[in-house]
Amino acid sequence: MKNISFFCKKELLEYWRTKKLLVLWIAFAAFGIMSPLFAKLMPQILKASFGEALPIALPTPTSIDAWTQFYKNISQIGIYLLIIMFSGIVNREITKGTLTNLVTKGLNRAVVVISKYLLMLMVWSLIIATSFGITLGYTVYYFPDQLSPHFFAGFLLLWLFGLFICSVVVLSSTLFRSIYSSLFGTIGVMILLYVLNLWEKTGQWNPISLMSVNVAVVQGQAVWSDYVPALAMSGLIAVLLLLLAVSVLKRKKL
Amino acid sequence: MSILQVDNVRKTFGQKKVLQDLSFTVQEGNIFGFVGENGAGKTTTMKLILGLDQMNQGSISILGEKVTFGATRTNRYTGYLPDVPQFYDYMTAREYLILCGEITGLPKDERIKRVDEMLGLVHLFGVKTRIGGYSRGMKQRLGIAQALLNKPKLLICDEPTSALDPNGRKEFLDLLYSLRSETTIIFSTHILNDVEQICDHVGILNEGKMVVCSSIPELKKQYGQQQVKIVFEQAHDKALFLERLEKSSLTNPYTIDPTGLATVISFKATQREQYKNDAQQLLKLVQQHNILPLAFEQQEASLEDIFLEVIR
Repeated sequence: MKNISFFCKKELLEYWRTKKLLVLWIAFAAFGIMSPLFAKLMPQILKASFGEALPIALPTPTSIDAWTQFYKNISQIGIYLLIIMFSGIVNREITKGTLTNLVTKGLNRAVVVISKYLLMLMVWSLIIATSFGITLGYTVYYFPDQLSPHFFAGFLLLWLFGLFICSVVVLSSTLFRSIYSSLFGTIGVMILLYVLNLWEKTGQWNPISLMSVNVAVVQGQAVWSDYVPALAMSGLIAVLLLLLAVSVLKRKKL
Repeated sequence: MSILQVDNVRKTFGQKKVLQDLSFTVQEGNIFGFVGENGAGKTTTMKLILGLDQMNQGSISILGEKVTFGATRTNRYTGYLPDVPQFYDYMTAREYLILCGEITGLPKDERIKRVDEMLGLVHLFGVKTRIGGYSRGMKQRLGIAQALLNKPKLLICDEPTSALDPNGRKEFLDLLYSLRSETTIIFSTHILNDVEQICDHVGILNEGKMVVCSSIPELKKQYGQQQVKIVFEQAHDKALFLERLEKSSLTNPYTIDPTGLATVISFKATQREQYKNDAQQLLKLVQQHNILPLAFEQQEASLEDIFLEVIR
């Protein structure tokens, strides 16, 4: 247990000193600022682009537009940025040989996997909370309406999806020796989940729905409790993937 | 008492047999030189001892405890210095050693004291720059500091001197030698001179097999050939001498290593009398042909000579 805290501290120092944490923080803060701002300015942007030639009357933007923009930014850019930044979280240490000294000092390999997962979770929580907080602040400021009553439930589902995807990244980075392979491994899992989501029956069980139903939940068109099966499935798969990652790392030559 | 016991270890990479029924023992307090050509299987053996790789057959035990692949408990007895130690570039030496101390479970007060001691020992005490800016020699010194931090009972060094300059090499060997009363050391290298300087026991690995494993004096007794070195003043003298030597009747079979104006004649003489007899014959040969050599001396076989003899 103590070694988990020591190793997490080392991981945090790495992400701080190599500025990876800062890059992610800035990017996610930018999503937070941009999402409501973009929703607010969209009518003006369209008007400026098309002028009087615009064939339709633009509706007045609402808080729903801001949240739609936020979840689009996170699910289409943010989550992939996170995956890219952490693709080498385990295999970089194996190929470089930095784990060798510590393992020969008695560091349990399970500690490596658990600490790396916890660090990733910590970073994800920090950056997504920052982004959400900024979006919430600006949305309330720009759109003081009552159209997004369940904004926190929507965020909670997204955060929980992060818990799942972090375990996929850690396993992929343990399985594959190169950073590119582990990156494609994780993206492959994402594609698979999107494909499975095409079947309506699997929707409520599919972890990807935690990142695709958020706007409906925020508006109250869907209830978060309908996605408890997807939550349970995500949690279960995450635990299994981490156990698999530990088992794989224990069999890796260092 | 033996600290390390390696029994019938076999390791293959695909079709390639890297280690074949490798067996040897290292006694507590030894500085054990593990010698072999590049690719002989030295690093693989060390990784197996540390549980970093999996053997196909056999067993290894440290202080009576079996080494297991993946998560071996025997690592609490060992310190390891790889040939090219890798660190976290964004840390300072102190931060890195503190992390190592935390992982090995040293109590906080002792950890800080020990880290200071180790930094002093390897002359990195006042260095505040991050490891990313270190030279190769500094990294090697930090490597030895981390390997010794937990006062290991068995220190395993994998070709630690191969990339050091002569000064760095000497300093490193002195440091290892000074540790002989505190820890048992296994030291792999293909630089035989280093082994001769500090080791008391040596194991010679050839094509995955331990061909010799004994103390250096025993090894010299068993394999060392008697040698006479004659240095001539002129090339003409040397040519004449070698011509006459062919026709002479030395009692022991001999080999010649002619380098420049010097000629080293080695012969397998089991008895001192035999050596004396042949040496006198050589001396007579020189006198008979009125050759005045610059030097005529008895030489002890070096570890290099023995190594070449053993792997032949």
